[in-house]
Amino acid sequence: MNLYFMKKTQRGLFLSLSLLVVFSFLLAACGPAAATTEAPAPTAAPSEAAATEVAPTPTEAPKPLPPITILINESPWLAGFEALVNKYVEETGNQVTLNRTPFNGMLEKSRNAVQASESEFDILTLNEQWYMQFYADGLVTPIKDIDPNFELDPQIIEYEWATRWDPELGYSSEDGELYGLPINGNIMLYFYRKDLFEAQGLAAPQTWADVEAAAQKLQSEDMSGYVVRANPPNWEFQAFLASYGSNVIKLDEQTGEWEVTLNSPEALEALNTWLNLGTEYGPANFADNGQAEMIALMASGKVPQMVLVGAAAPDFDNPEKSTVVGNVAAVPVPGSAAGMNATMSGIWVMSVPHNLPDDRKQAALAFLNWALSKDAQLFYAQSGAIPVRQDVYEEMANDPKKGWWMKAMADSTSFIHAQPRLAETPQIIEVLDRRLKQALISEITPEQALLEGAKEIHKILTDAGYKVKPLAE
Amino acid sequence: MNPSKLSPTPNQVGLSSRLGKFIDRTFQYWTVAPLVITLLLLVAYPSYQLIRMSVSEVDIVKGETVWEFVGAKHLETALQDPVVPTALKNTLVFVIAVVIIETVLALVISLLVSRSNHFVGLYRTVLLIPLLVPPIAIGTMWRLMYDYNYGFINQALAVFGIAGPTWTADPQLAMPSVILVDLWHWTSFMFLIILAGLESLPQEVNEAASVDGASESQILRYITLPLLRPTLLTAVMLRTIFAFKVFDEIFLLTGGGPGTATEVISLYIYDVFSGQFRLGYASFLALGLALIISIFVIFYRRVGQRAQA
Repeated sequence: MNLYFMKKTQRGLFLSLSLLVVFSFLLAACGPAAATTEAPAPTAAPSEAAATEVAPTPTEAPKPLPPITILINESPWLAGFEALVNKYVEETGNQVTLNRTPFNGMLEKSRNAVQASESEFDILTLNEQWYMQFYADGLVTPIKDIDPNFELDPQIIEYEWATRWDPELGYSSEDGELYGLPINGNIMLYFYRKDLFEAQGLAAPQTWADVEAAAQKLQSEDMSGYVVRANPPNWEFQAFLASYGSNVIKLDEQTGEWEVTLNSPEALEALNTWLNLGTEYGPANFADNGQAEMIALMASGKVPQMVLVGAAAPDFDNPEKSTVVGNVAAVPVPGSAAGMNATMSGIWVMSVPHNLPDDRKQAALAFLNWALSKDAQLFYAQSGAIPVRQDVYEEMANDPKKGWWMKAMADSTSFIHAQPRLAETPQIIEVLDRRLKQALISEITPEQALLEGAKEIHKILTDAGYKVKPLAE
Repeated sequence: MNPSKLSPTPNQVGLSSRLGKFIDRTFQYWTVAPLVITLLLLVAYPSYQLIRMSVSEVDIVKGETVWEFVGAKHLETALQDPVVPTALKNTLVFVIAVVIIETVLALVISLLVSRSNHFVGLYRTVLLIPLLVPPIAIGTMWRLMYDYNYGFINQALAVFGIAGPTWTADPQLAMPSVILVDLWHWTSFMFLIILAGLESLPQEVNEAASVDGASESQILRYITLPLLRPTLLTAVMLRTIFAFKVFDEIFLLTGGGPGTATEVISLYIYDVFSGQFRLGYASFLALGLALIISIFVIFYRRVGQRAQA
């Protein structure tokens, strides 16, 4: 009898424990999603009750805004942004936390934030190649929804309307609604060694032919004539493309139809120019250079000229990194002919997630408003970041340290071109990068690269439901 | 106390006895039930989710996940996608090369270490180091070593008057360069498994063969290798699975370039998933990769069963 009861008790105990284990797993599987997506509650916001109890008198400081958290990428301009944030905190008393994230984690963190019940970030920093998805899918708040009276200062450069989204056209246009505000004005500049150019009697290049002539003169055993950006190549190539009056895709605003123009004769000229400079005058590893390698090549005196993001300029002035301090100059990126200059926008915008309570949205916009003011932007530029105001560039052009490249930035504004700005841009860029890389190592001919790329992009647009003109072959 | 409350009625006894017998009969299943249920939850549900995603378009609109069933659309896309055949070809080249070379290298090193009487612990420790280094660090380290202008390898070659090649920029050299890094990283994994297998082999057989006059090479060929076959098959199978999923090293070393010379399927899946945010298509490609790996696993198991038979 005792044995019977013991066995029965053991079985019962065993079954209960088993069920408990399974139940625990179920709980564990269900639990964390809700817990991890919960945003930190704004702690500094005073409750309504508290606000009514102590009504502010006219002489009192304005009610502090809730603290905000900004998702920001680790980059050469981060130090400048941190300085800007510190100044904001000092001047306003509002609290700001920075979530510093490497470039590769930015997109994932941004996506996770907008999928949560409430975003953990009050401001997302979105890259030129991602922001369209966030605008198109309504994952960020239109600025006028936060403040209906918001007006963008005309001195703030909009970089071919990277700030706006037109849902009818499905792309960024002047008539679109304001969804983001620029925070980093990355565009390309043409950098060259003024000491070497002067020694050879060369003027700052205006055209690609000038660039090639300089490459021929300056190329030696120790120095390449030019270097192209191969990792990834699409951004630089698009500047060549635009300088020949072409582009990857084009919208016919009359008919609302898209046209893939990547295989145009102008595009072929642009690709041949780019390939010629890259392969004939580039270093032996011309197919393997990314931005970091290019900066190192210029800073170590191994290349006399290149097209590079403006933000690289401070590296050439840094005696700890550069052997060519004071010898590098910058001008707008050359063109196919004088006046056909073209530089590509590669900016970052800041947007406010859709899934935030009103007070947090207001606090986010308050920061952005302040950060884009002229004084703040001047401080931002002096702190080593890339401002987004034309008046600041023009004023900074006279700066004894940064003036040499700030002037080039100011002069480049009218030449800014946009990359394709559709929700499908990442797919288009993948095609462009792959085909350009293949052409660069002669895996396929330039004609094949453009035609095959154009076909793929045409299919991407057609499959996505856009009205697309038949491809000219 | 009422005794009737303590003693069970005949009906209660019958029910209790039947339940007890049922539990006794099925006790073995109850013991594994928690594990089975847990595994089902951890493996079956994510697998179901992957399959569901692979036949859907998944988008996130206003924070909501929107699913649209698209049937075999992703298969059609994959068949027309010019990257897929290139990535599959490169992946196969990579897998075949690293699995064969690493197996042979690891076997040789294991045989040498197992026969050594000195410093066995030291050899093991030194050979284990690459396995302990995170792949991200390995990729970065080798990227710097391969650098055409400033890399250690080319600078070392320059000391002897040799102009180093463009290791990762030359389409002919890029894949061998990536394979070399993988050999450095993963040979120690194969070495550990094969050495463990070698050390577990009965020594008496070798001694008997030696007494009978068998040479070293005959012992290796007719005794050691046949006895080691199950271990080798397991090691090769595991290595094949890992090699198909190679990502970190290539991502850091070449990013799939130059051109498409080192574009492998995992890299492309990452780009489709993370860069292009095409969740459905990326899931379809991931499922395809899992199926290809499964074919290899089944092949190895068949070979193993045949060898045992």
